[in-house]
Amino acid sequence: MIPIQGTQGRKTLVEEGTSFKGSLSSTCPVEVKGRVEGDVTAPALSVSASGSVHGKVKVGEMQSHGELSGEFDADVVQLQGSVKDRTIIRAKSLEVKLSPAEGKMQVVFGECQLEVGSEAARDAAARSNEKVPKGPTVPPDGAKVSDVAKAASVRPPTDANGA
Amino acid sequence: MPELTADLVLKKIKIGEKVERADLRGLVLTRAVLDGASFRRCDLDGANLEGARLSKALFKNASLREAFLAGADLREANLESADLEGANLLGAKLTGANLNRANLEGANLQGAELSGARLTHAQLESATLGGARLIRAELAHADLSETDLSTAKLDEADLTSTDLSGANLEEASLVRAQLRDAMLRGATLLRADLSGADLRRANLSGARLEGALFTGARVRGLVGTGAPVVGIRGEWVDDSEEASRVVRVTGAQIAELLSGMTPSMPLHKRYFGRGDVLRNAHLEFDTGAAVEIESLFEHCTIALGEGTELVVGKGGTLSGCQIQGPGRITIHGKFVEREGPGIVGATQLIVSAEGSLVGAVEQATELTRFGFEPGCYLRVQILQAKKERSTKSGRQS
Repeated sequence: MIPIQGTQGRKTLVEEGTSFKGSLSSTCPVEVKGRVEGDVTAPALSVSASGSVHGKVKVGEMQSHGELSGEFDADVVQLQGSVKDRTIIRAKSLEVKLSPAEGKMQVVFGECQLEVGSEAARDAAARSNEKVPKGPTVPPDGAKVSDVAKAASVRPPTDANGA
Repeated sequence: MPELTADLVLKKIKIGEKVERADLRGLVLTRAVLDGASFRRCDLDGANLEGARLSKALFKNASLREAFLAGADLREANLESADLEGANLLGAKLTGANLNRANLEGANLQGAELSGARLTHAQLESATLGGARLIRAELAHADLSETDLSTAKLDEADLTSTDLSGANLEEASLVRAQLRDAMLRGATLLRADLSGADLRRANLSGARLEGALFTGARVRGLVGTGAPVVGIRGEWVDDSEEASRVVRVTGAQIAELLSGMTPSMPLHKRYFGRGDVLRNAHLEFDTGAAVEIESLFEHCTIALGEGTELVVGKGGTLSGCQIQGPGRITIHGKFVEREGPGIVGATQLIVSAEGSLVGAVEQATELTRFGFEPGCYLRVQILQAKKERSTKSGRQS
């Protein structure tokens, strides 16, 4: 583990081939190219494709291309690579880019849990939806409600959001 | 015979004198150090400046027809309105150069570095730019007809209203390039990357698009190829006028849109409008259907066929529902499950920035492709496909 002086300031680097076990608390960003097992606290965590982090992590920003397992708390998360079973990711914001249909998966999820966004943000979004005036059903050109749908229970407009 | 000899030119430049309006035709100044020199309005037709250092040099209105400038360093040089017809600029460094209104007809710019260069209204007809780097270059209104831009890097370049008729853009990278109102009639875009490119009102008639990637491209108002489009790649394109209100078009509709031809299966589209409420319904949508929901669905079960598109629009809410089957789901609105897993076997699941998903997702056997945009709300438990899970638990016991 080497604190390195880069062009954008200091960061702690766990180099490829290095395995670290225990608690790691840092005031500068942490970059993991090797393996970390344990608790990590830092302003930012970057896990490269060769890197893996297993444990409890609390960071401001997290960007992962490697392997994650454990409990991750962060404000902003950008995810690629893999998320193993029994992992929990809590974040205010999560970004997972969609992989092309024929290409490699951006993220492979095991059995895991995602808790993303605050309740307050969701409630605000819901309120803004409620303000949208209700209108009649106007299918676009060429569209039609399926026969099955027509047969289902349909009643006149009441509350589009079910609030 | 040139008006000045090479030695005299070098001497003048060394003492800071300008060499302007001089007849320097055929002059040989290979690898000369001429940074910041002024050759304004000079006649340098056929001159040999191979490998010369000419950064920040001034060639405004100069004539450099058939000049040999291979490997020359012309970074931030001013070549505005210069005549470079047939010039050889192979591998030249032109980063940040000003080539506005320059004539580069038939010039050889293979492998040249033109990132950030300004080429508005430039004439590049039949020029060779294979492998050139034009990242963030300004090319608005330039004539690039019949140019070879194969494998060129044009990411974030401004190509607004350019003429790219008959141009070869095979395997070119045009990520987030501005191609609004561009003329691409008969252009070759085989395996080009147009992710996030702005193609609004561009003309693609007769263009070849096989293998091209269009994810996130803006396509409102474009003129299609006029023939069936096959083999294109892309998860979705944006058919909105304003970037702030993305209208995603997915699946087979992308090809239809790019071809400009009437959709072949319009009856496969299903739409549930705002204000409708469906309760306790069981809905089945066959393979190839495109379903959009802007309504409130309560306690409904939705079965999707292979590749069926299901879009929960911004106004749509699926409360206490379950979606099953190998479809592609996009959530701009809300999905809340009644009992888990709320989504089973989807091949693709996108939750956009405005979307909200609460529930368990059982992945497809071959794994689900996920896309989550920043701003989305998730309380999600991701599960493996049932078969996978039982195999795992069997292994554990």
